[in-house]
Amino acid sequence: MAYIIAEPCIGTKDSACVDVCPVDCIHPAKGRNYDDGRPTYDEVPLLYIDPTECIDCGACVPVCPVTAIFAQEDLPEKWHAYIEINKNYVDSGKFQPDKYQKPGS
Amino acid sequence: MSTLREIIHENVREGELYEKLDRNWVRCFACGHCCKIPDGQPGVCKVRYNQGGTLFVPWGYVGGVQCDPVEKKPFFHAHPGALAYSFGMLGCDLHCAYCQNWVTSQALRDPAAAVGPMRVTPAELVLDAIRQGGRVIVSTYNEPLITSEWAVVVFKEARAAGLVTGFVSNGNGTPQVLEYLRPWVDLYKVDLKSFDDRHYRQLGGRLQPILDTIRRLHEMGFWLEIVTLVIPGFNDSDDELTRLAWFLAGVSPDIPWHVTAFHKDYKMTDPENTSPETLIRAAEIGKKAGLRYVYAGNLPGQVGDLENTRCSNCKTLLIERFGYLIRGYHLTANGCCPSCGSSIPGKWASAFQGQVTAHPFVPRTRSRSDLLVLNS
Repeated sequence: MAYIIAEPCIGTKDSACVDVCPVDCIHPAKGRNYDDGRPTYDEVPLLYIDPTECIDCGACVPVCPVTAIFAQEDLPEKWHAYIEINKNYVDSGKFQPDKYQKPGS
Repeated sequence: MSTLREIIHENVREGELYEKLDRNWVRCFACGHCCKIPDGQPGVCKVRYNQGGTLFVPWGYVGGVQCDPVEKKPFFHAHPGALAYSFGMLGCDLHCAYCQNWVTSQALRDPAAAVGPMRVTPAELVLDAIRQGGRVIVSTYNEPLITSEWAVVVFKEARAAGLVTGFVSNGNGTPQVLEYLRPWVDLYKVDLKSFDDRHYRQLGGRLQPILDTIRRLHEMGFWLEIVTLVIPGFNDSDDELTRLAWFLAGVSPDIPWHVTAFHKDYKMTDPENTSPETLIRAAEIGKKAGLRYVYAGNLPGQVGDLENTRCSNCKTLLIERFGYLIRGYHLTANGCCPSCGSSIPGKWASAFQGQVTAHPFVPRTRSRSDLLVLNS
C-alpha cells in the first residue's frame, strides 16, 4: 500500500506535502533539478508519490489544502487511474520516461 | 467522556528535542523521521505536535505499567533475575502489522486500540517500582524515543533511588536523542526487525537510521542488546539473517543477539508461527557470523542450549535459563567466568539475588487503582 496523489492536485501543486514527507518520496520538489531527465516542478501537472519509497505514515494527508492525497484503500473509485499515474512517474526513486504520461494525454 | 486525543493533549509540556523553523514550523529530533511539522499538526507518531510554533510532547501519564522479569525485555546480560518495572505511554513512529503492543502503540491511529492513560508523577512511579521490588525501570510498550523527555525525568528520579534504567526501543533514533538520553539510560534494547529497507518501509520506517543508531549506541557505551523477531516468509531467509548478523558482529561480537519466535498478532495473521527449527537456524547463522552470545527466545525448553549463557572462551555454563526463569547462575562477583576468568560483557550485579518468584513472575498482586485512571 502507498498513498496516492489524485486529480485535485492538478493546477495546485501546493508542495506542503513535499515539506512534511519524512522520507522525501514526493516529487518533483520545487526548485529541484533531477539528473535523470525527469520533468521539473514547473513541467508537471501534479505531484507524485513514489510507492516503493512511501512509508505510509500519512503526514502528507492533512497538510494538503485541496484534499488530493489518499491512502490507496480510501481513494475514491473515480481516481483509481492515479495509482498507476503515481507509480509510473517514479519507481524506486527512478524516473520512468517510457511510462510517464500527463493525466488525460 | 473525553476522547483519547483530548486526554493526550491535556497531558503535555513543551518538548526539548526540537528546533523552531520559520513560518511557525518545527523540526522534531526525537526519532529518525525528524518530522518537519507545520503549525497545528502532529508528527508521524501523532503524540508530538506543533501548536503555534511550539512542539508539545507527552507528559505526566502512563498508558501501561507492569513488573516483568528483566529477561522478558529481553536483557540477558544485565542484572539477571531482577524485576524490571516497565512503563509505557501511547503512540509509535512505526506501524508494524504484527505489533504485540498495538493496544498502546497504535492508540492514536487505530480506533480498535483504546486504552485509558493514568496520570502519575515521576516520584509516584519510582515509589511504585520500589514497592514492587523492581531493581530496573524501563520505558517500553510504546516507542520510548517519542516520549524521551518524560522518560528522562522519570529516570532522574529512578537513579536517585538506586534503580538501573533502560529503553526497549525500535532503534529509530537520531544523534540528538541519543546525546539527550546518554546520561540517564543504562540499558538499551533495539528491535532490529529486518535487514531489508523495503521491509522497513512496510513497517513505516527506514533501515539506515536504525543501523546508525545501533552503531552509535555501542560507541556511546549504552549496554546494548538486539532482538530480531523471526517471521517466516518476512525476514527469515538465510541471506537476510546472514547480512544482519554480519552487521552486528561488525559493530561488536559481544552484543547479545536474541532471535525470537513470532506469534500471530494484530493485523499480521498469515505467516505461520516460528518453529524451533527456524530459530535454531537463525541462531546458528548468528554464531557463524562471529556473534558470541546468541539466544533463541519465546520457545522455552524447545531450543536446546540456546537459552543459556556460556563463556565464549571456555564454554563453561554461566547462566542457565528456562524462558525467563534463571535455573543456575555461576558468574563471579565481578562478572567473570569461574573456570577461565574471562570477563563476560554485560552489567552484572555482584551476586545473583534470586528471582522474586518462578511463575508467573508477579511478586505481589495489586490493583491499578493506586494510579488515577484518567478517563474513568
